[in-house]
Amino acid sequence: MRRLLAVAVIATFALAALAGLGMAATSGAGPDASAPTATPKKPKLPPLPREVRQRKRWIFGVKCDAPPFGYINVRGENAGFDVEIAHWFARFAFGKPNRVSFVCTPTPAREPALTTGRVDAVIATFTYTRDRDTRIDFSRAYYQATGRLLVPNDSTIRSAGDLSGKTVVTTSGSIYDRWVRKCFTNTKLVVTDNFTNALLTFNQKRADTLMWDDTVLVGIAAADRNTKLTNDTFLALPYGIGIKQGNVAMKRWIDSRLEVMRKRDLFYTILRNNIPTRFVAGFSRNILRPKVTFGYPPADRPSPETVCP
Amino acid sequence: MTLAFTYDLGSYVAENWEFLLKGLERTLLVSAIAIVGAFVIGAVLGAARAHHIPVLSQLAGVYVEIFRNTPILVQIFFLYYALPQVGIKLDAATVAWLSVMVWGGAYNTENFRAGFEAVAARFREAASALGFGKLATFLNVTLPIGGRIALPSSINTYIAVLKNTALLYPIAYEELTTSALQINALTLETWETFTVLGVVYLTLVWSLSAAIRLVEGRLALPETR
Repeated sequence: MRRLLAVAVIATFALAALAGLGMAATSGAGPDASAPTATPKKPKLPPLPREVRQRKRWIFGVKCDAPPFGYINVRGENAGFDVEIAHWFARFAFGKPNRVSFVCTPTPAREPALTTGRVDAVIATFTYTRDRDTRIDFSRAYYQATGRLLVPNDSTIRSAGDLSGKTVVTTSGSIYDRWVRKCFTNTKLVVTDNFTNALLTFNQKRADTLMWDDTVLVGIAAADRNTKLTNDTFLALPYGIGIKQGNVAMKRWIDSRLEVMRKRDLFYTILRNNIPTRFVAGFSRNILRPKVTFGYPPADRPSPETVCP
Repeated sequence: MTLAFTYDLGSYVAENWEFLLKGLERTLLVSAIAIVGAFVIGAVLGAARAHHIPVLSQLAGVYVEIFRNTPILVQIFFLYYALPQVGIKLDAATVAWLSVMVWGGAYNTENFRAGFEAVAARFREAASALGFGKLATFLNVTLPIGGRIALPSSINTYIAVLKNTALLYPIAYEELTTSALQINALTLETWETFTVLGVVYLTLVWSLSAAIRLVEGRLALPETR
């Protein structure tokens, strides 16, 4: 009796399975109102550029002395916001975050690194300007930075309008270098070959103020109680990833993955990994997020570093 | 769209000649101070080394070893960025001439030491026989002869001093190379920048070398002419 019952149960399941297979076989014959609606296919993302695919590794230019975007940590490894973007690109391309090599590219070395083909792309606090866009290509914007002034606590400088007769230090070839040369003829300008030397020049009181990007300077002001940032902001220009001019495949790939990162809110995760918690809320307005997107200034307006206050 | 290669030397010079000229003036000024200083340092410390003057000879030896065995770039960084941390802050212009002068002086010390030691003993003995004291012997015999012997190797040192002013770039002292690199950082006219730099330095070094050889010819010892 028990044996008969077991056979009956097994047979029932077998018949049910066969019926299901039969329904699946007949559903291909034509539209079937009872079948689930087919999900739309995801658009195919652009393929990895050939040179990177063949090398099986990325080579990115990054800053090595501009925390929190690009610096060398205590373990001697490249770290920072831009560096983490590079590791995400390696994940997207090869499934492994460490399939990437870094080349230190201080401000004046970024464009030559691209034009000479030493790197695949530059993720190094690279502010978009129309002038630079004539020589290299930029990805879509991924971070909104503004210029700030770092001053000693007892400084008489309250804003960029107080720079007459003062000494400003910044890095050679930066948007600040161009802006001060053009607009502040009564200001002594000292330009150094990298940010570290600019900071040393300021710290050693060889300059009255250090002019640079807000996110880097805020960390310095937070760590050094003898300094502060003035309240004014200027030269609001987004960062982009520098790409060799004409490398369309590279631009398409990078832009598509930046969009993926935006939708998955990965920039917020990267931000939290790299700046003190108390600054996260404020600077989260500067990054791409699922509900936040931004681009470069429109072409019909003059580039900000060419406009004097 | 690919980046087209452009090369417009005429426009580059026309737009930037004033800035470059100021840089050249600073290069010449720093070089002049450093070359004169290196000569004086070399002659004094070379004499101390050649005559084994106690204490001074040993100190000169330490100075020579330190500055000949470390890269001049390290020395420049040390003077400009490290000394302020112990309370000694020198401005960029002072570091510029001081660094290349001290570097040149170390090499010149050895140039002159070798020159003074090469003066035949018979000349010094003759001076002594004529009643010259040690200082008078040095000033009237050893220095004129030994200085001429040291001149060819000193020429190389002075040329190196001039070329080493290009290493002042990290301290933002706007001599010729720094000025040109700043223009390059803003304009990316790399070919033009380095063409101009190459031509100017070639002219400078050749001129300096020719001038010193002229002096060398006029100062040559009678038996060597």
